[in-house]
Amino acid sequence: MSINSIIENLIKICSVKHVSNDASVLKTYSSDMSYVEAKAPICVIWPSNAKKVEKIVKLANDLNFSIIPISSGAGPRLHGDTIPQKDNCVVVDLSKMKKIIKIDKKNRIMMIEPGVTFSEIIPTLEKKDLKMNIPLHPRGSKSVLASALEREPVTIPKYMWDSSDPLLCTEVIFGTGDLFRTGTAGGPGTIKQQEKAGIAQVNPMGPTQFSPYRIIQGAQGSMGVVTWATIKLEMKPTIQKVYHIQSDKLQELLDFQHDLMKYRLCDELLILNNLNLACLLKQTTQEINDLAKELKKWNLIYVLGGRGKLANDKLEYLVGDINDILEEQGLDPSKDKQIINDTDVLRILTQPDTNSWRMRLKGGHQDIFFLSNFERIPEFVSIMENQNSYDLGVYLQALNLGTSHHCEFNIYYDPNNVEESKHVKENFLKVCTELMDAGAFFNRPYGPWAKEAYERHSASTQSALKKVKKIFDPNNVLNPGVLCFDD
Amino acid sequence: MVLEKEIFKEFENVVGVGNIDDGEVITDAYAYNWCMEFFNYMDGKEPLPYSPRPKAVILPSSTEEVQKIVKLCNNYGIQVKAQSTGLGPWNCVSTDNSIVVDLRRMNKIVKIDEKNLYCVVEPYVSGAQLQVEIMKYGLNCHMPGAGPQVSPLASATSMNGPGFTSPSTGHSSRNVLGVEWVLPDGEIMRLGSWGMKNNPDWFVGDGPGPSLRGIMRGWAGAKSGIGIFTRVAVKLFPYPCSTDFELSGHSPDYDFKIPDFMRLYVMDCKNFKRLDEIMLQVEKEEISFMCSYLSGLAVMAIFANNFEQMMELMAVGSMKAPLVVIIAARTKREFEYKQKVMDYLLEKNKLENIIGTKYTPYPVFFAEALRSNLGLHGFIATGGFQSTLGQCDTAKVCLNTAASNVPVKKIFIKKESVANDFGEGIWMTSYESGHYFHVESPTMFDQSNKHSVEGTAQYFERSNEMGLVKHLGAPFFAEGDRMHDMFGPHMHNYHLWLRKIKEAFDPNNIADGGFYITAGKGKKGVSKGE
Amino acid sequence: MDKEEYERMIQKCLRCSICKWVPQIQVKSQKYATICPAMDMYNFHTYSGGGKIILALSYQLGRIGPSDELRDIVFKCTECGGCAVSCKFLNTLEPLEIMMEFRERLVKDGCGPMPAQQKYIEAVKQVNNPYNEPHADRTEWLPKDIQTDPNSKILFYVGCTASYRRQEMAIATARIMNAAGIRFRLLEDETCCGSPILRTGVKDAFLESMNKNLDAIEALDVDTVVFTCAGCYDTFKVDYSLHRKYNFEVKHSVELFDELIQNGKLKLTTEVPLTVTYHDPCHLGRNAERYEEWDGDEVELMPLVKINIPKKQKRCGAEGVYDAPRNILKSIPGLKLIEMERIMEYSYCCGAGAGVKSAFPEFALQTAQIRLEEAEDTGAEIIVSACPFCSTNLQDGIKEKGSKLQFYDINELIMMALGMDIKKVKEKAAEVA
Repeated sequence: MSINSIIENLIKICSVKHVSNDASVLKTYSSDMSYVEAKAPICVIWPSNAKKVEKIVKLANDLNFSIIPISSGAGPRLHGDTIPQKDNCVVVDLSKMKKIIKIDKKNRIMMIEPGVTFSEIIPTLEKKDLKMNIPLHPRGSKSVLASALEREPVTIPKYMWDSSDPLLCTEVIFGTGDLFRTGTAGGPGTIKQQEKAGIAQVNPMGPTQFSPYRIIQGAQGSMGVVTWATIKLEMKPTIQKVYHIQSDKLQELLDFQHDLMKYRLCDELLILNNLNLACLLKQTTQEINDLAKELKKWNLIYVLGGRGKLANDKLEYLVGDINDILEEQGLDPSKDKQIINDTDVLRILTQPDTNSWRMRLKGGHQDIFFLSNFERIPEFVSIMENQNSYDLGVYLQALNLGTSHHCEFNIYYDPNNVEESKHVKENFLKVCTELMDAGAFFNRPYGPWAKEAYERHSASTQSALKKVKKIFDPNNVLNPGVLCFDD
Repeated sequence: MVLEKEIFKEFENVVGVGNIDDGEVITDAYAYNWCMEFFNYMDGKEPLPYSPRPKAVILPSSTEEVQKIVKLCNNYGIQVKAQSTGLGPWNCVSTDNSIVVDLRRMNKIVKIDEKNLYCVVEPYVSGAQLQVEIMKYGLNCHMPGAGPQVSPLASATSMNGPGFTSPSTGHSSRNVLGVEWVLPDGEIMRLGSWGMKNNPDWFVGDGPGPSLRGIMRGWAGAKSGIGIFTRVAVKLFPYPCSTDFELSGHSPDYDFKIPDFMRLYVMDCKNFKRLDEIMLQVEKEEISFMCSYLSGLAVMAIFANNFEQMMELMAVGSMKAPLVVIIAARTKREFEYKQKVMDYLLEKNKLENIIGTKYTPYPVFFAEALRSNLGLHGFIATGGFQSTLGQCDTAKVCLNTAASNVPVKKIFIKKESVANDFGEGIWMTSYESGHYFHVESPTMFDQSNKHSVEGTAQYFERSNEMGLVKHLGAPFFAEGDRMHDMFGPHMHNYHLWLRKIKEAFDPNNIADGGFYITAGKGKKGVSKGE
Repeated sequence: MDKEEYERMIQKCLRCSICKWVPQIQVKSQKYATICPAMDMYNFHTYSGGGKIILALSYQLGRIGPSDELRDIVFKCTECGGCAVSCKFLNTLEPLEIMMEFRERLVKDGCGPMPAQQKYIEAVKQVNNPYNEPHADRTEWLPKDIQTDPNSKILFYVGCTASYRRQEMAIATARIMNAAGIRFRLLEDETCCGSPILRTGVKDAFLESMNKNLDAIEALDVDTVVFTCAGCYDTFKVDYSLHRKYNFEVKHSVELFDELIQNGKLKLTTEVPLTVTYHDPCHLGRNAERYEEWDGDEVELMPLVKINIPKKQKRCGAEGVYDAPRNILKSIPGLKLIEMERIMEYSYCCGAGAGVKSAFPEFALQTAQIRLEEAEDTGAEIIVSACPFCSTNLQDGIKEKGSKLQFYDINELIMMALGMDIKKVKEKAAEVA
């Protein structure tokens, strides 16, 4: 089938206004900050509802082209999962599906379409005294739904009851073109009928004896195209108190963090190195470097929150219990000079970022992230520090009720500096594979990590994933080239 | 049907002499299970508590032995059904061409990882065994409502997962990390970080990429229909109070030194509307160790260890919409805060806590609450009970489900098939500080009374259908071909996808899919979209 | 057990597996959480209390028939009653009674008891003891310097095992009674209490033994019968009472000696610097709870729901003899008592009972070793008990295991605390064993 024919058929679905094969448009969808070698898509299409998405996917099966679903519109795109790796590919940009379908305060959920961004949702939720467990200072233009689908690490580990949180139910178009709803959204009944019965699509498990939402999540769009999802929310605290502990010894902070986590004593909880904390709080390179110099190397931040009439009582008991732990561990944060202020910290923890904080230092960054257990974090930090002669940002995030830790290393470089860029590129995969060989678990294997990660993983997992792919996307129309589905 | 001699010998070579038996006596005991009579009735068979008799029962001691057994079953076209502590008909084989793999000998606590807040267990570690070992680290585990004598591994990988402590310990399915899984073709799959070739570890159960936990189970597990799970890592939680656990006296009237910072509240919310609001208020405060709605009779049951004692609690049982909350704390300040919150909510909602005023439970109740032993009290009245419903979403749909079930149950109460709980026998618990709830209707029957057994089976069918007709969600026991073919067409044909999964992972139909799904053609329906 | 009750109860097992464990709230460690020796030995669910109830139902329904396979499984059980204690924390089933009734039915159908058990039952019939020893030698154990009184109101019922195999226990008991000023009498024509017969399902032979003994005792003018054997004690106290009323009190020696210590008639003044752990015999503990007569009604409160009015006794072992032996041990100067995890009504069986020692010696020995490991883990140097069956099996287990533990009968420790030399008693033990 010719490209023109494909485009004609797509126009029949979405109208000419929402399909483009303009060269300049195609160019923006053909590259990102990763090292994945991309190709240009045939065209980009902007469907406005699930029915159209269904038709597009069915068409892809019929006419033998592939689809890359994306949700965050213009980007910047970082990891290679949203740019075409194959010929004959159509980018399905869901960013115009922007409905906030419902916000249910009573049941602490919202139902949103893929195009809803952090900038849009956060203030909307705040007005209703609600909050979402969000990633660290997320880019404002980033799709909330996509973030949840990617299992991006969130900053309140005590609210992360499962690795899949805060994603709940989904409406998805599988690679076959079939529409499906996961969790209790699966029915019986339409969403309206369910709501009449009292269901709010809060239970992500099922339907019955499987949980397809787990297959869709982390799949980089290769199992299905999600057209809406329910996302878990929390009540917004009325009082928040920020605590910042600095140390030159990472282990000291990790040990303290462990107890905070074990006893569920705080809300936001994370560790940053001085450079990353400075990048988050400041805007210019100079400001960042100045602050980084002032801060000690390691910075643990935690936030206590209380709500309503007894908010202060809650904080009082939490502070008391935490002080007991501080004393047991011989930590005395009051000795350190107060360098950063609470307002700024709360801003980065609760608000979207107007520009990408990782780009502020030098304009370019390559991120290496994986999951680790508690004990091995210092070892991985060591590997990165030994390898890396660059400006290195470190972000450590406890996840999933403290059972695992997101370890993120940001290699900052000037993309306009040819030598520097070349050096980063040449060593990027090398250091990633060294980490993998040391046991770092790259559970979100983007771009070139995929091949390496799967090679270092048991064959039975790959075999099983391929079986699953064959079920939900037998013709491999969805994002071919990602994960382990290409051979 | 028994195993042929040569085949028996091959299995025996795997597990050793004395660890396999195909005699009629050993195997007949494995054909029996609680509530099997209902499934027989629903299948048009005589309502006896026996499934087909398995060909043999085999006792492996390691994952490698399990693998060899499964491979042999593939060679000889024999189905395989795994069980550990084995409570419930879901442990029974569906044909006599099936062998039971009893995982009794796989009973190690492989790892308690205090720093990473999880443990790794084999199938025959009981909840109580696990709890006492992790208490030494100030930790607790989630235990299913079936009781502390059952297997946390079975609950996490294969069964259901609600528990009395779910407000603070979640649902079994969501507590899973790394998994070791013998697939129906005999391959061993290790989920998540446990599958890494270098430095495998148990702390993550997902990826790389999508999570195969989504194939492993859903709201309910596959009941051995997709392979055998030999080890699982499950999350651990802070033990809610002091770990001193001092009992004295003798069974059944033990005395227990209630931990200092533990308190029980039982409040009548008067009606479902208020119950819905109040339960959410309590849960949004994130203070409860336990938070359940139990119907009046069920509240009586949890405070008694025999029926006569239960009858002495009529005043408690007359509450219309009782909410049972336990708060517990590690420190005095935490406890004082939680009490303050409860006092505030009691006042705000004009509620009275009957504990300490109208009623004081025996201290052993608190020991049982900590040990998650309360579910077994459902057996007190008639010696037999099973739950219908099982919907899980908001408190509202749970209460709507409960209310809708009342007239259905009353029909069968009138027929004297089920015991009279006024139709209102309910247990509903919060999960994850009230983010979702589930409801079930414990229903008392008499296993020795044929009329009761048949009537209860009919009631179960009606109750299950109600979920379909009233859009309340799929019930617990939407499992097996018949139920999937009934519900699937109304739920986006999920049954067809589930069948494809079965076909992909078990092309030879080796894992006994009687309570899961079998490969083959199902009915496709047209799901009503919007 | 009532036929109707049996047929109703065997339909009501929930298959919950509670019967395999100690009562759930009493679990203190992973290692010592189980209570069923048969499950620990054989692993198949069929061997559990619940498993055997299922077999009873299967047999009743004709799904299985009499066979050696069935017989072996049903008789591989010490009838320790541990499953019953755990089950009955909440349930109203009677696993132990069902098992005993099931054995009787199998025996009637010619399926049991085990050949080794049939042998000793025959011996009882012939020579009044299961050891096939001459009846005339039954009182040979009695040292010449022990003072007896043929008119005493206190009868010392020695039992077969203490008379022929664990004579050190009989001697020690006798010496202690004398030390307290008690001149007891013996039963001239003492015959086996019938416990090893009853518990293998041979009801008729048991009733014969029972009537023989009760006829003989009732012909005497005694107030109290004292036992040193837990098995005999339990049989008289609980099983005889079910079938026939009698007008004397039964006491185990630990009960008597505890009383005597409390009222100053026995003065334990010699230091016994040992660390001990106490093993509760099943027949002195959980099973030694008499059935209360209940003259109430089972009233149907509503369809399917019945209530006992007045409330019926629930035998969960609460009335077993636990305090007396512990009081005695605590009264011994210098003695340190450390408890095992599984004690009192949820004690772990020694492995010897209900004919298992004869028919399945390997099973008995393995069970003993499990119990001994638990004793070793307390750090105690001595395991002490109050039953000759436990004594034999645990001592055999010590030998088999190569354990550093020593076994003492509680009476031996009392003798030591009284300043008596137990060397001769110990020698007697070695001689007879």
